[in-house]
Amino acid sequence: MEPTVLAQLIINGILLGGVYALAAFGLSLIFGVSGVLNLAHGEFLMVSGFIVYLLFDTWGWNPFLLVALVTPLFFLIGYFFEKGLIKPLGFRKEHVRLASAMLVTLGAALIIEDVAAFASKDVQFEKSIDFFLPTWVVGQLYFPTLKLLVFGLVLVLIVGLFLFLKYTYLGLAIRAVTQDRRGALLNGVDILRVNAIAFGIGSLLAAAAGGFEVIHSVVAPNIGLPLTMKYLCIIVMGGLGSFLGVALGGVIIGLGESFVGFYYPAWGQTVAYLLLVVILLVRPKGLFGE
Amino acid sequence: MKPNTLILPVLIALLFLPLIPIDARNYLLQVLTFLFLNLVLAQSYDMVGGTMGYINLGHITFFGVGAYAFGILLNEGLPFVVSLPLAVVIVVIFAAIISYPFFRLRGAYFSLATFGLVKLMEYATINLSWLTGGSNGLKIEAADRTLQIYYLGLIVVVAVILCSWQIGRSRLGLAMKAIREDEGVARDFGVPTFKVKAQAIMISSIFPGIMGGLYTWQLNFIIPDDVFGLKLALTPIAMAMLGGSGLLIGPIIGAVFLYSVEEVIWTNLAHLQGAVLGLVIVLVGLFMPGGLARLALVERLLSRMGIHEEDK
Repeated sequence: MEPTVLAQLIINGILLGGVYALAAFGLSLIFGVSGVLNLAHGEFLMVSGFIVYLLFDTWGWNPFLLVALVTPLFFLIGYFFEKGLIKPLGFRKEHVRLASAMLVTLGAALIIEDVAAFASKDVQFEKSIDFFLPTWVVGQLYFPTLKLLVFGLVLVLIVGLFLFLKYTYLGLAIRAVTQDRRGALLNGVDILRVNAIAFGIGSLLAAAAGGFEVIHSVVAPNIGLPLTMKYLCIIVMGGLGSFLGVALGGVIIGLGESFVGFYYPAWGQTVAYLLLVVILLVRPKGLFGE
Repeated sequence: MKPNTLILPVLIALLFLPLIPIDARNYLLQVLTFLFLNLVLAQSYDMVGGTMGYINLGHITFFGVGAYAFGILLNEGLPFVVSLPLAVVIVVIFAAIISYPFFRLRGAYFSLATFGLVKLMEYATINLSWLTGGSNGLKIEAADRTLQIYYLGLIVVVAVILCSWQIGRSRLGLAMKAIREDEGVARDFGVPTFKVKAQAIMISSIFPGIMGGLYTWQLNFIIPDDVFGLKLALTPIAMAMLGGSGLLIGPIIGAVFLYSVEEVIWTNLAHLQGAVLGLVIVLVGLFMPGGLARLALVERLLSRMGIHEEDK
């Protein structure tokens, strides 16, 4: 293998993995706090991508500005999604709660996907933003500036999230609930509020990823569930509640898809699932699970 | 549930239904055949999902592997009576193989990983095109087999219900329920949890395996997107939960109810069928955690018919 090809594949893989990790953080946060697998996570991403596309189409503003405008809106959407659909499941028995939460979020995912497909007339209709930046060439390596910019913003968001969880009272509460729900409750944490806020933040991260997705790639109404599954692979692979695990899981899958996609294009999409099975065989709790 | 005044007439009616000489007969038979398919998938899913509490989102992989194994064997020139059992054996071996890595996981992790398995199998089937025909699909010799499929499907329906009932009163079933309630305690009390889980998933894989073969035999043509599709993967699970997971009658009620709703939606609504189905699923999840079979009204009705079972 030529060294430049190798370096190029690594660059592409890491840039791809960054966006994966961003949305996966959101899913991991929600799962950690409320114990709910939000199967509608990818749908938030898809809807946000669509809104950014529509606004870009009508106003023609800078897409990054539009992402910054649209994303906070999804905090509210996620917050009220939790209040309306997840909170009523309340304190049912563990496996009953897991099952009904899966039913509810799955149903919501089907509704969102179908309405989006209906609104855009066709499931396969792909939307993408016509926005380019010059590619940065160093020697024989190509750095796609647009993806670098996206990666930089992803890093900013992830670091921001990390600081928020580490240094604010709310972040402390979220970590406490993730570690021990009952213990947090006994120490006076308002669990219901923390649940809704975590859902809001998770959806916000998904929405940001959706905005980036439509900028450097495409969105279509039917990408939601497959993407959700890929994020689920990442958080299982990394280990529940592990920040480092999710980041590493995202990058591993990004690199895997980049390499396998280059040599065996047909197998590119299977990488996430194959790696998941292999890693679970070696470490059932994920890379960084306890 | 005992074969009693209600069940025998229904069975006999179903047996003689194909004799009705009306034009719409084939449509009716096809509708019933797909109801059988959904019912078998829901009931066999619930062996692991309801009785043992492991939500296996990858149950449909057994169906898909069965469909492809049967089609490939039939195209190799083996007769139907050999290919179908052989396909089922392949499915059970597949279940045994996946039970090792996947049952090292618990709760939500297990569900996630099995969900990923569906996609993995779909892509694998597309890519192994020398064996499966890839995304062009797999063809077998075409013929109209509506009547045979109907009767075979009916037999499998009876078999899966009897098998669930038998599991419910066996030692294995008791061990599965113990695992559902508290796996750690069950293991401490000497239940060989790993063996029980492997046995349960192998038994539950038999029936979707058979139905997969019959599906190929009926449609003459299958594609990966179809037999490993998300809709076919999730609807039977929604049915089991809608009807009442963990009860013998639950998946039956759920399958009949949701399938009827779907038929009405498909025939009356030009758009947004998926959204209405999604709405039904959301409402079930929100308001009926125990499913239809545990509603007081339905419970009274069931006990009047003599098929009410205690929730243990």
